[in-house]
Amino acid sequence: MKGSSKEKTALITGASRGLGLALARGLAGRGWNLILTARDEGRLRSVRDELATRTHVAAIAGDVTDPIHRYALAVLARGHAGIDAVINNAGALGPSPQPELLDYPVDVLSAVFETNVIAPLGVLQAVRSELKHGARIINVTSDAAVTPYSGWGGYGSSKAALEQLSAVLAAENPSLRVYWVDPGDLRTDMHQAAFPGEDISDRPLPEARVPAFITLLDSDFPSGRYVAAALGPAVVEAA
Amino acid sequence: MTAGDAGLEFKVSDELAAHEPPEARGLTRDQVRLMVSRVNDDVITHARFFDLPDFLDPGDVLAVNISATINAALEAVREPHYGDARDVMLHLSAPLSTTLWVVELRRRAAKGTSPLLDAEVGEQLRLPAGGIAQLVAPYLPEAGGLQNGPVRLWIADLRLPKDALAYAARYGSPIRYAYVPKPWPLSYYQTVFSAEPGSAEMPSAGRAFTPQIVQRLIRKGVRIAPLILHTGVSSLEANEAPYPERYRVPQATALAVNTARSLGSRIVAVGTTVVRALETLADEDGHVRGGHGWTDLVITPERGLRAVDAILTGLHEPRASHLSMLEALVGRDHLALAYDSALDHHYLWHEFGDLHLIAKAPGRTP
Repeated sequence: MKGSSKEKTALITGASRGLGLALARGLAGRGWNLILTARDEGRLRSVRDELATRTHVAAIAGDVTDPIHRYALAVLARGHAGIDAVINNAGALGPSPQPELLDYPVDVLSAVFETNVIAPLGVLQAVRSELKHGARIINVTSDAAVTPYSGWGGYGSSKAALEQLSAVLAAENPSLRVYWVDPGDLRTDMHQAAFPGEDISDRPLPEARVPAFITLLDSDFPSGRYVAAALGPAVVEAA
Repeated sequence: MTAGDAGLEFKVSDELAAHEPPEARGLTRDQVRLMVSRVNDDVITHARFFDLPDFLDPGDVLAVNISATINAALEAVREPHYGDARDVMLHLSAPLSTTLWVVELRRRAAKGTSPLLDAEVGEQLRLPAGGIAQLVAPYLPEAGGLQNGPVRLWIADLRLPKDALAYAARYGSPIRYAYVPKPWPLSYYQTVFSAEPGSAEMPSAGRAFTPQIVQRLIRKGVRIAPLILHTGVSSLEANEAPYPERYRVPQATALAVNTARSLGSRIVAVGTTVVRALETLADEDGHVRGGHGWTDLVITPERGLRAVDAILTGLHEPRASHLSMLEALVGRDHLALAYDSALDHHYLWHEFGDLHLIAKAPGRTP
């Protein structure tokens, strides 16, 4: 329950649902201190109550696109004597169903970029002096960043921007490990919104990808792009 | 009084502390004393606050803080296995989100309160009406400070039956330190400008204004421009930098300031909070833009003032960062002269005390 500098601390955005929640549960089970943020205060509170029995959890509701909220994350990070990992997981899909680019309302596209590109960098800028040496930065991306799927131009181009941003960050900060990770299609609210009315029960639950993220946090892989499914979860489970 | 490197050195004896509002001393709010000090010729004038319009000029902009004081002090009870003090006070300083607040814990003493330093991460305190405050992490405004030492300010997760401001309004009381022996209702901690609740402690430089004074200022042609800076707790240790605070400067206020400056009129900040907000948004030429956020700006003589020409403020403790702000405006020598005079004339210190209008340039009327 108590935070201590011997334990590791992770900041996870978008932690109340889907992959962010699965990662929070996975890290809680491994004794990480957690700083969790999400917009939905009620959901975040129940996540906190669930995980607080297993580890130290600081939950703070807010929107990562708001600089005032990002400042609050930095204050929390400082109170935890620095952080070992930032997982920029919060993301916006855009309209559901997703319009083709020539029909895409550009003000909505701007908001998607704000959440998927500007906010992750804003979070890192806010907590930069709280990052411990060798801290892991994980920016959650998508195969839509590299494959031109019809109808995925808004989300996909924002994730492509996030990937390039991650790559440059890695080049500029050799003391950090920057990973941009494609978790694959998962059975989440966001994925359902991308396929409204369709049955997505064939997609794996986000929990299936948690071991891949743990591998990245526990090892010392070089900065770069990783596909979660290729990181071999079975190997990690055995470790 | 000597001028050392640590700033002005002087002693504020107990008789020089305002122990109660002027109303309790048989005065109206605007009958407190006003010391006017002019740096160009070192002339120091002793007046009453209601004389303020005589010292301002048409066109001057009086920038005021419209943040209202909240009942930031809550009675709290610690669990028996934590520390030796059970009945403590929890002072709300500033919100980081709807439920996470920066708070200060203080011991209750026969006279006032004193810092409580032995609280622990994870500790839960019981608040009125079933509220709970859980200590999430130390609040460390400066990197590396306090890490393994005693912690005075905390980030606390507040689980309250209602919104924190509404809860404080219902169950809290104004923060009070030992030099004010009796409690006073919240109305004594509001100013005529108070509009948006959020200050842990009263922005007290505005306290002496009455509707009549405001009316006279308007008739004279003095412009009044609002902004917000929500104050945090002020219980700083000597020489400790002030904590970051939340501010908002409206576009219209920035425009009024810039226009007045371009016409050669003065910007008079009512209180150090106003100085902090305006200077946060001032560029090197003193041009101010509108904006909002948190500011950790500390005004020192090295940094100097860019937009503000005069400050109306109370009298400050030795080694307080506020004095270094005043020194930035008028220099050490003039400040020493003014404080010598205030001590000689038995001015009263603290939020219910007397006021000081301090200007680097003279007004056009004497």
